[in-house]
Amino acid sequence: MAFKNLFSRQKRVVASVAIMALATSGLIAISSSADAASKTGGTLYFITQSKQLNRLDPARIYTGQDIAFMNTYVYRSLLSYTPTTGDAGFNLVPDLATDIGKATDGGKTWSWTLKSGIKWQDGSVVTCADEKYGLSRVFATDVITDGPSYLLQDLNIPSDAKGNLMYQGPYKKTGQEYFDKAVTCSGMTITLHLNKAVGDFNYFGTYPAMSPVKQSADNGAKYDSAPWALGPYKVADYKIGTELKLVRNPQYQQSTDTIRTAYPDQIIMRFGISEDIRDQIFLKDSQTNAVDYDQNLQPANKVAFFANKATASRGINVVGPYTGYYALNVSAGHLDCLAARKALFFALNDDALIKLAGGTQFYGTIGDNPISPLVSTDYAPTTGNIHDANFKLTGNPSYAKTLLAQAKTQCPATYSKITTANKGVVWDISNTTTNQKAATLIKTALNAAGIQVTFKFIESGVYYPTVQDATKEDDVASGGWAADWANASTVIPPLFLQHGGFDLNLNWNDPTYKPFAAQVAAAQGETSRTKQAGEWKVLAQFVMDQYWTIAPVFQKEQNFWGSKVGGAAFWMPQGCLLFPSLYVIQ
Amino acid sequence: MVKYLTRRLASAILLLFLLTIVVYLIFGILPVDPARISCGIHCNPIAVAGNRHRLGLDVPLYEQWWRFFVGIFAGRTYGDGAARFTCGAPSLGYSFPNNECVTTAIAHAFPFTLSLAVGAFILWMASGIGLGVIAARYRGSFIDRGVTAFVLVGSSLPVFVVGLLVYILAFFLHAIDPISQGIWVSPLSDPIGFFKNFIFAWIALALSYSAIYTRLTRGNVIETSSEDFIRTARAKGLSERRILFKHNLRTALAPLLTNAGLDFGGLLGGAIITETIFQLPGLGEISLKAVLQDYDLPLIVGTTVVAGAFIIIFNLIVDIGYAYLDPRVRVG
Repeated sequence: MAFKNLFSRQKRVVASVAIMALATSGLIAISSSADAASKTGGTLYFITQSKQLNRLDPARIYTGQDIAFMNTYVYRSLLSYTPTTGDAGFNLVPDLATDIGKATDGGKTWSWTLKSGIKWQDGSVVTCADEKYGLSRVFATDVITDGPSYLLQDLNIPSDAKGNLMYQGPYKKTGQEYFDKAVTCSGMTITLHLNKAVGDFNYFGTYPAMSPVKQSADNGAKYDSAPWALGPYKVADYKIGTELKLVRNPQYQQSTDTIRTAYPDQIIMRFGISEDIRDQIFLKDSQTNAVDYDQNLQPANKVAFFANKATASRGINVVGPYTGYYALNVSAGHLDCLAARKALFFALNDDALIKLAGGTQFYGTIGDNPISPLVSTDYAPTTGNIHDANFKLTGNPSYAKTLLAQAKTQCPATYSKITTANKGVVWDISNTTTNQKAATLIKTALNAAGIQVTFKFIESGVYYPTVQDATKEDDVASGGWAADWANASTVIPPLFLQHGGFDLNLNWNDPTYKPFAAQVAAAQGETSRTKQAGEWKVLAQFVMDQYWTIAPVFQKEQNFWGSKVGGAAFWMPQGCLLFPSLYVIQ
Repeated sequence: MVKYLTRRLASAILLLFLLTIVVYLIFGILPVDPARISCGIHCNPIAVAGNRHRLGLDVPLYEQWWRFFVGIFAGRTYGDGAARFTCGAPSLGYSFPNNECVTTAIAHAFPFTLSLAVGAFILWMASGIGLGVIAARYRGSFIDRGVTAFVLVGSSLPVFVVGLLVYILAFFLHAIDPISQGIWVSPLSDPIGFFKNFIFAWIALALSYSAIYTRLTRGNVIETSSEDFIRTARAKGLSERRILFKHNLRTALAPLLTNAGLDFGGLLGGAIITETIFQLPGLGEISLKAVLQDYDLPLIVGTTVVAGAFIIIFNLIVDIGYAYLDPRVRVG
């Protein structure tokens, strides 16, 4: 699965204006003092079967729920999404900054002024130099891995002849002068000079990668174990496989913060709870002050949970931000033939696969676009694919055979590969119990159409590192993606450009790639949001017409909590519970 | 005896040395590139190269091993510039997914493994020997048949079945709290908390061992009963109780020492299944995560070397114990 992400249903400018008014009135999600007193105290538990959080280092964290969790409790970034439910949650609000950012030079220069007097956990005051240093760490790509790459792509830092950035981060200090020119401090105001106009760059201000880091506290890779706090809690203990314990940060001043409530006295995340035990905890409500951080129960338990009125009130089932899909490798020797790719798509039994994963009630619905409908400005129904008259949700083997016949004449080598028993389509699949069942369904459907398939089961921990390696990826890989914010610029380029970061199609040698990439570049540079949205729609149609991605599923997601957890609601832009409002019922 | 000890100690050290080479080579030739795996989602050839340098994988395998070996005695420094840091001796490498020195990770995990192993060992030795002696003493009786049934069931049920059954039963009886389970509690500061943390894991782990040791004890006691010196003791008019505890058991239990030493040494390397089921982050659990989730090569090598070292050390202890009990062994 990919990396978490944010999106909006509203136009950016409208959102910005609306939120300024709210911020000024001081009404955002902050309760009255009497109300707050009744909610304050206790220990809030988060339970997960994972052994650890992917990352704690603000520059390296890139999964949405982790971002929301750490931003709510430990870090503070320049901006935040509004801590409220519904569409209003998509609006930006200042957090460390005094406003949501000022763009000049047509969107090529962005600046924020930091609030004064905000303190680190050691009592020292946050400075603009800390903010600048925090941004610089992203460029130490040999140490700071995994985080979002927007600063690498967008800051105006030159590259050498080989295309490598000439600034290599604060540890080596190579090319420091370039960074000092691209990012400047004047008093408490930080200014970022970009290499192109990015009209919505301030949305990136919600990311922890845009939060400050105190240079004297930075210990490189080890910072990932215990980042310094600006928020209401600090890391007291972090033991992988056991727990993450957050305790109150005495230097935190609620008066500087319009976002966080900080009700619990202590927050503990327990790792390594088995699926069976986790499910029983929430079904039986045996740990009343706990939240399911996995956002999941096993399929049968999920059905039982929502079928029972007594338990269903402790859960939510909503459309989530992620789109799951199969990425087809279109490089030479793989699925480098449009007719073959179409045959694969029309042969699949999507209905059975969706039912296996939880059905439309819990898993999601078949989609027609890599862009989620929740990115409403850029989404439009495409034509063809699932709207084709020959498409059947349960698979259409006879039409797939017709397409195979076309492939036989248009691209005999690919046809031979995918129809020969000892070759066939090689499908990279992560090795889970559900996927083993899915493999059987896929094989049955493809064989009915005359397509042979073999599966390469890859341990889930190394699935993405394996399929992201162009030398190791086979013909089909699974992916999942959500927009980083309300713009398909955070979907189309990362998924379909050679250096986008998550291009599983290996499409850069496809004859259609060059004009496609040129069109993507044009869309990225488009300053009119309306025109840009039109271009993303055209590009999404192109991607679907090329069948680079097949069978996207607009996924749903669920959250569960115990009966002594108050304030539980869905935070739409973060795709998880509204952490700032959670409290332990006393 | 001193000569024998020196010889055995020297061979144990040589074995440990060879173990580091073999383990390093095995994991070094695996078709897995740790530099690529830990490179992150925006990986590119430059980042992979930088990562390879940082991980110390940009030198030939023999040099990697040499750095690892020297690090055990002299510590080891990683990274460049301001991001430079050191893992002090004895360094077994640095775990990049966990962002900690392997020795530190093992030091955190070892108390869990040691507590699990010691508790289970006491439980299975006490129950195994006790039941074995009772079954032998009342051979052919209803009690013996009951013990035999226990042996059959205990030794045929795999530990993952027993472990899951015990865990789920304990959970439903509210005897185990998954929230606090697996958090380290010192037996000195909170003996009850410590006991609650481990008791069900001890039972699950000890059950199959107990069955095996019951069978061994019963067999050895019965076999020893027919020895001449037992008949002599009986002819001298010694009571059956005295014969059993004074003469029979001393002989019958000696072979169990070998098994017990090796089993205990093996457990100190981590009881993967039991630790995983009972959420105990011991050596076995962190090794499993390193293999399945992270491909964390330094941690895999570190835990494998430590587990191997325990087996070698307990082999040595067993050999020395035997040499002490039976002087003929020293000559061989």
